[in-house]
Amino acid sequence: MAPSVETNKATFNAALLPSFTPAPESPAPTEPAEPVPSTNRSSPADHSGIEVAKTTPATSPSVPEPFPISCISNRYFVFDPNTISHLRRNHNICGVLIGTIPNLSSQNVFLGVPLQLLPEEARVLVERGVAFVVDEVEGHKWFLGGQAVSTVDDGKDVVKSIKGNGTRMSREERLKWLEECDRQGRARAHAVLHEKRKNTEKVLKEKGLSHKLEDMTSAATPDLAEDTGGDSLLFDAPPAPTRPEAAKDERMLALHHTTPTTSYPPLPVPTLPVSVLPLPKLTSSIANRYPLFRHLHSQGYFQMPGLRFGCHYTVYPGDPLRFHSHFLATGLGWDEEFDLLDIVGGGRLGTGVKKAYLIGGEDPDAEVQGVGGVGNARAFSIEWAGL
Amino acid sequence: MARPETLKQAVQPSPLHALIAQTQLSPSHLPNLHALALQVQHNLQFQHSWTALRVHTHSPLTNEPLPRPLLAGLPPKRLYVHPDEQIALLKTAERTRKARKRAGDSSDALEIKAAPEREWILPTRLSEKWTLRRLSDVFAGTSLVPPEAEESETVTDRPANPWRSTKRVVLATVSPDSTVVYYIVQDGVVKPRQN
Repeated sequence: MAPSVETNKATFNAALLPSFTPAPESPAPTEPAEPVPSTNRSSPADHSGIEVAKTTPATSPSVPEPFPISCISNRYFVFDPNTISHLRRNHNICGVLIGTIPNLSSQNVFLGVPLQLLPEEARVLVERGVAFVVDEVEGHKWFLGGQAVSTVDDGKDVVKSIKGNGTRMSREERLKWLEECDRQGRARAHAVLHEKRKNTEKVLKEKGLSHKLEDMTSAATPDLAEDTGGDSLLFDAPPAPTRPEAAKDERMLALHHTTPTTSYPPLPVPTLPVSVLPLPKLTSSIANRYPLFRHLHSQGYFQMPGLRFGCHYTVYPGDPLRFHSHFLATGLGWDEEFDLLDIVGGGRLGTGVKKAYLIGGEDPDAEVQGVGGVGNARAFSIEWAGL
Repeated sequence: MARPETLKQAVQPSPLHALIAQTQLSPSHLPNLHALALQVQHNLQFQHSWTALRVHTHSPLTNEPLPRPLLAGLPPKRLYVHPDEQIALLKTAERTRKARKRAGDSSDALEIKAAPEREWILPTRLSEKWTLRRLSDVFAGTSLVPPEAEESETVTDRPANPWRSTKRVVLATVSPDSTVVYYIVQDGVVKPRQN
């Protein structure tokens, strides 16, 4: 997949919209593989606190799994709007939209594609077998027909199959492509100019000055004829009976260019045996918190970065656009020491914003009880007692 | 110069000091941990009006010594109401209010009846470092509801609350200036209360 900076936000929003509209609470018995909260207790004792939002799957293009996640300088991105909404709808993954508009790069209120994933999110998707990580730089080079460049990482799983000549463009093809770009640019400029003239005439007509325009042009033409009178001896054809400003505009038009926003030729979506990177690495800071992330994800919670609340993740019982978060989660190693002051601070902050503070980690001694390799994460919820 | 027995002491020992001095500290745990439990017990009893407080040194489940002495006691009113239980209680209260209104009662107040429940209390010091393993060990030794104290005069055969399905302890943290803060720690992912 090409890292094309796709800034067409209208399409993007339209693609996401169906999942945001509150779906009617229709009892859909055939819900797709939604992770069912593991409650080994019977109601009314269901204290797991999960009311996972059931959104009826809207009609949207289906995303084939596994889908690619682009890795660029150790960050994980998703560029396809359909995949982004698929992630949100079916895999409880929100990520963070980071794309902005090239000519308005300082606005950061409404951001679009690409979607950046946390390393934990990328890893949990790969572990569940619904995604694979593509080294974007090498993939791009391969598709554009560059030389095989595969630096030997310490990861042994790097597939070094970058030999193909891909879809490299010949010189003729490239020139043709550039010509096509120019043609599109001129057509666009013509359209703009046409619109401008129409507006001018409309305004003049409204003010009753349309005859003046006629006068101006008729007055200007003889001038032009006089100016070029001497030259007409040299050139066969007298200047075309167009208005001089039009001729001027035509010359200006040649300066317009379009900047393509996508790579050409359009790169195919990579399929599996292409430069697949190993599982996203768990650096020491992430390794301790990852089991808690995976545990909560497997229970159907949505998680967002938690820096704003001084924790690792803010945990939502459903789509964050529809629910307030329930927990401020901090992942810890089983034998990692923490200060009680952190518990007091986290618990008090959480209670103040109607949330619970959640600490958790993986118990290495517990016998494996998680289904599907979910692990033995254990969590403790902390709330102010009100005494 | 010997102090005459008839004179009062220049500085009276504090009630807390007296309590710790009077109590037979358990041989199964370090004295400072037992004294800490007594300090929290004193705070609960006299500042928060808890009753039926009792120090547990051994687990009621396994009879093994607990990682440290824990307290169990009865708060004056319900300490924790799970949000789901709260909804059920509100519905019941609304029904009884309507029934009263039909019966011609003029009072229109919503009376929510939640009987107090016994709680486990885990005494800690602010200067301590804790780990998830130690917290998990504490939970391993506690029962869902603390056993009734022998000297308790309250009614004991109240049916167990069906909403209470996860273990919880009240984490009591004592700071060096003797302030005690209380936090509820639940075993597992339990959704927060709607305060």
